Amino acid sequence: MELSLDTEACMGHGRCYDIAPQLFDADGEGHGVLLVPDVPAAEESAAHTAHESCPERAIALRQ
Amino acid sequence: MTDITDTEVAESELADSMGAEGVGGDIAAALAVPDPQPVYAAIAACPIMVLPGDINVVGAAASVDALTRNHHVRGSGALGNTGGAERPLIPLDLDRPEHTGYRKLLDPLFAAKVIAPLEADVRALADELIDTFIERGHADIYDEFCALLPSTIFLRLMGIPATELTYFLDFKNDLLREYPGETVEAGEARVKGAAARCYEYFNTVLDGREASGVPGDDLLGRFLTAEVDGHSLTRENILDICYLLMIAGLDTVAASLSCIIAWLARHPEERQRVVADPAMWPDAIEELMRWETPVPVASRTPTEDMRFGDEIIAAGTHVTVLWAAANLDPEKFDNPMTVDLTRRPNAHYSFAGGFHRCLGSHLARMELRSALDQFHRRIPDYRIQPGVELTYEAIPVRLARPLPLVWSV
Repeated sequence: MELSLDTEACMGHGRCYDIAPQLFDADGEGHGVLLVPDVPAAEESAAHTAHESCPERAIALRQ
Repeated sequence: MTDITDTEVAESELADSMGAEGVGGDIAAALAVPDPQPVYAAIAACPIMVLPGDINVVGAAASVDALTRNHHVRGSGALGNTGGAERPLIPLDLDRPEHTGYRKLLDPLFAAKVIAPLEADVRALADELIDTFIERGHADIYDEFCALLPSTIFLRLMGIPATELTYFLDFKNDLLREYPGETVEAGEARVKGAAARCYEYFNTVLDGREASGVPGDDLLGRFLTAEVDGHSLTRENILDICYLLMIAGLDTVAASLSCIIAWLARHPEERQRVVADPAMWPDAIEELMRWETPVPVASRTPTEDMRFGDEIIAAGTHVTVLWAAANLDPEKFDNPMTVDLTRRPNAHYSFAGGFHRCLGSHLARMELRSALDQFHRRIPDYRIQPGVELTYEAIPVRLARPLPLVWSV
């Protein structure tokens, strides 16, 4: 499973790094930073939740 | 929950109320009830409602997304300056590209990691406030807790002495509340007077800081030394930021706290679940923010023609955005009319969306979590004062005031 973050669409809600800090961090402005694009099997559920929790739909998931 | 009949009823009710008194009169009254959700949900069922008087309302999540994520859209500034201000509030009333530079200055000041260390302060303040009323066994939790906690924290962030709290609460109430029986002229004069006092207050403080040569290690100090797009902020820039922060910082978290505590007072079994397992707070707060939507409405103005369902909205047309309706759209949320305190994911609209995302959302979430957890550790079991029906305001901010609660001592 692969994650990607559209940094243009990200508005800094911060849901991703709050919900899945093992996959996302924040930059200095509080916008999301993708840490782990290749999602390990154990984190697939967290990746799904982060994807679905983004108010801007800025996080994409590819199987 | 949202069939055509509901929608027609909602449209007809809204059209009646808007036609009768204009936006903001009867519509606010119709929504100022403990459970406005069915009306909002009905509005979410259609792509756009076009009402007499060129009033366009979007509440469906897909429409709200299309509008707020559009690069060719303006925020509330297209309607004029917010809240009696002499100039556009920064950044709320600005649009791209100017907006971007100011957000690059302000976002880091309100980033989650910057806000996190304030949690101990918020919990300590919550305890101090609770100490003042817990032994009494009853309190107006709006006036004695909800209104005071976020305002006090905000004055500290700004670098304003706590002794000025009453002055700023009066300012905020004069700007944002409606006073029953007041004439339109008197209301306008009240708002203008409050605006003038706000500018005057900050002018005096900023004069003092400049004269002393010590900008200060607080938000005001940051503004005095900040640069945006390669230039220092002018005095007017700083005043326009301060004005926005005072409005936003003094009112919205107070309102959110009141909505959430009121809901928990009305639903003791749900409250007991969270009290028994405080780890539930973050998801419970997200869900109650979705359900209550304390800031229910905004305005957007597309700068190119946009289609919503069968309607073409011409560039330059003002569109009312109902976050409170989008939060109840079944296309977006499973069982949206059910409050599920463990709901996750929960990509709700209560901090707005698009490039005007609430600047203070990280501060608000931390304050809500800390204040609610602390309150319920101290006062886990309470109820609304017997015989009292809670009263709500709806527009521009939903809140429950007064909020008279009783508990055993």
